[in-house]
Amino acid sequence: MSAPLLSTHGLQAFYGDFQALFGIDFEVAAGEVVALIGANGAGKSTLLNAIMGAIRVAPDMVRLDGAPTGGAAPHVMVAKGVGIVPEGRRLFTGMSVEDNLRVAIDHSAGGNDAWTLERVYALFPILKDKRRDLVQSLSGGQQQMVAVARALLNQPRVLLCDEISLGLAPKVINEIYAAIPSISDAGTAIVLVEQDVGLAKKASDRLYCMLEGKVTLTGKSADVSREDISAAYFGAGHAVA
Amino acid sequence: MQWLDALIQGVLLGGLYAQYALGMALMFGVMRIVNISHGDLMILLALVGVSLAVSFSLGPFVLLVLLVPIAAAIGYVLQHAVLNRVVSQDPLPSIIATFGLSIAMQNAMLQIWSADTRSIPGGGIEQASWQVGPIFIGVLPVIVLVVATALTGGLDAVLRFSKFGRALRASAADVEAAALTGINPKAVYAWATALAVGILGFAAVFQGLRSTVAPSDGPAQLIYAFEAVIIGGMGSVWGAFMGSMVLGISQAIGFRISPGFGILAGHLVFLAVLAVRPQGIFGRS
Amino acid sequence: MTASISASGDLPAVTVRRQTLSGTVAIIIGIALLVGLVAMPWWAGQGTIRSVVELCCYIAIAQMWNLLAGYGGLVSVGQQAFSGVAAYMMFALAQNLGLNPFLAVPLCLIAPAILAVPTYALLHRLDGPYFAIGTWVVAEVVRLLTTNFSYVNAGAGMSLRVMTQYSAHERAIGVTLLCALMLLVTVGGTYWLLRSRYGLALTAMRDNPVSAASQGVNVPRLRFLIFVAAAVGTGLAGAIYFMAQLRITPEAAYGPQWATVAIFIVMIGGIGSIEGVLIGALIYFFADRWFGEFGATYLVVLGVLTLLVALFARGGLWGLVNKVVDAPWFPTRRILVSGGGE
Repeated sequence: MSAPLLSTHGLQAFYGDFQALFGIDFEVAAGEVVALIGANGAGKSTLLNAIMGAIRVAPDMVRLDGAPTGGAAPHVMVAKGVGIVPEGRRLFTGMSVEDNLRVAIDHSAGGNDAWTLERVYALFPILKDKRRDLVQSLSGGQQQMVAVARALLNQPRVLLCDEISLGLAPKVINEIYAAIPSISDAGTAIVLVEQDVGLAKKASDRLYCMLEGKVTLTGKSADVSREDISAAYFGAGHAVA
Repeated sequence: MQWLDALIQGVLLGGLYAQYALGMALMFGVMRIVNISHGDLMILLALVGVSLAVSFSLGPFVLLVLLVPIAAAIGYVLQHAVLNRVVSQDPLPSIIATFGLSIAMQNAMLQIWSADTRSIPGGGIEQASWQVGPIFIGVLPVIVLVVATALTGGLDAVLRFSKFGRALRASAADVEAAALTGINPKAVYAWATALAVGILGFAAVFQGLRSTVAPSDGPAQLIYAFEAVIIGGMGSVWGAFMGSMVLGISQAIGFRISPGFGILAGHLVFLAVLAVRPQGIFGRS
Repeated sequence: MTASISASGDLPAVTVRRQTLSGTVAIIIGIALLVGLVAMPWWAGQGTIRSVVELCCYIAIAQMWNLLAGYGGLVSVGQQAFSGVAAYMMFALAQNLGLNPFLAVPLCLIAPAILAVPTYALLHRLDGPYFAIGTWVVAEVVRLLTTNFSYVNAGAGMSLRVMTQYSAHERAIGVTLLCALMLLVTVGGTYWLLRSRYGLALTAMRDNPVSAASQGVNVPRLRFLIFVAAAVGTGLAGAIYFMAQLRITPEAAYGPQWATVAIFIVMIGGIGSIEGVLIGALIYFFADRWFGEFGATYLVVLGVLTLLVALFARGGLWGLVNKVVDAPWFPTRRILVSGGGE
């Protein structure tokens, strides 16, 4: 495996006095698709927020191209080439689809113009028809497409996707996941936070499983067995569901 | 005919109020905060304007060119040094901080300029008027209204079409998501306040030309700006503009009914709007 | 006050304890001070009594603002509407209608109570900071109406000449008794409220209104009741203050300086605590006496201090004290003592 593009080292994160992450070692290489699975509250979203600088962490705990970036503000991380599709989509309501996308273009990471409005419209053709509509008038699936397109227009080298299948119909999920290979083929590394283990396993090269703020399993997605995942997902002593 | 006159004078007065209200609408729309020293800042700028005009015998236009950048710079510094520390879901810190600032500013101005009322010399423009039948229309109030309309249209265009405007609207909609899309919220906030206080620079010059200013006048201007924003409907700059017109007309008509009733009439229209149409006359529910 | 929770299953037995040594000491000192206050006409001079009455009014007004902002999450800069309207009502009852002025003080509280209902009904529609300025508009409306109301002598104000029927000694007895009552109602009442079953709801609401609502606290109703209660408490302070002054004008009654005083006291002392109000009131009282002669400069410093507290020390002085020692004068927390119970 090549040198990691983005990595965390013994990452600890706190919400006030409550410790949410206990020494996470995580890495993703350029062009790789990594899945992050685990039950609700396992710390997956916290890990993404800590990487993005939305939660304060020590500088050495997060590295981009080997350089410490922990504690840098979110907009700085975006400028350095880390993009995120936040949990719950978090679109800019009251603004049109295209204005949502233009905000990302206005603030994209420098040195790379791989993603253009035309390219994201080619990826999600429905958005081109809806580009003048207010985002809140779109369906859930279409809103998720806007969120992915918005993050891509930040020109990230690594794209963090927080539960992009949540609350969507299976057909729509497939539509969005169909875009993953073409994103990673363009050289963008992807981190998929996902509760649907089957979906995550199929879409990723490697996976990490988290439980109660710790990584309990890591390996090539094709190699890990359902039994291993079950044990890591629910903790030892729980029967396979 | 005197009611038509009141209506016209009210609209012209509304032009001045719009220049107070735009900045408040902008700051609340983007940050959900109200700067209680908004009116005091305007008075401060006007008093600085008076001193500059008198010391260097500057005309109104030169004064505008000087004062607006000064105002914007004050706004930028105010946001960085004070307001960025108190922007939060909880309204308390920002109210208390700007309330303290307001008290300090009023009293500091009192010491520097004394309690006297002053005005900016306009070189005759403040007395000039056109006569239309029995009604006199002041040249200066018309200029104020035209400038207010231009400022409102300009601000609306900036919000709609510019990169900065998109960043403002995105931060207003969801500031955390905006940061995750590469926007630096504190920088956007600082420029928003620079813009809001910059507009107060126009208001200060016109207030100083049209009538008088004294250090204790700020709170009244704050209240007019607030009433205009609420009457018009929160969340749009044209709403603030139209609210200013309604407030100006209410005060002018109230004043015709009885001189002691003018300001009160404005307050009562504000309360009536709050009672029957809390989203504002031009606001969406 | 202790109450046992009968432990079931494998939970350890615990006792809920709320009274602390510091709290007991504070209660004893408080009762002693109240007795001293009521006895003032027999041991203190006119000047001292006047000063102490003023201090008591500051405490009451600040405590009511603390109840609003510190617990209700309702930040107001227009409480002078209620102190002013109550004081004017008292003047009208006593001077115009010939009622006993000491009886007029409790009766006049109907005015702020009645005013508070439509005020809240209109203003609660406004978002946080806009609510604050809305209260200011209401105070301005009441001021302008009073200025145009010839029944209370319009802008010229009124004098409470009926008080001349009493000797200075009798007036002092009446006013100090009223002050003691006012402190019992505002400070004691808040303490009682915080320790009652509403106390937990209030604290929950202060910390997080959304989660408090989800836990069954009727936040809108509680806020409305707090707003009315604070209006009445503020009104009481206004009535007593202007009874001691013997004179009232619209400018004095409805001026924004009332909001300044309340905000300064609560923020410097420490918002969300009764101790903070007492500390803040004492500081304001002495600062006003020692530095008041500096006029505008003094007010600049006051304003800047308020700003600095909002920026860097939201808990005020009591918040700083709390970081060092834990000795509440008015303990409201419930402390679980393990191994207690049976």
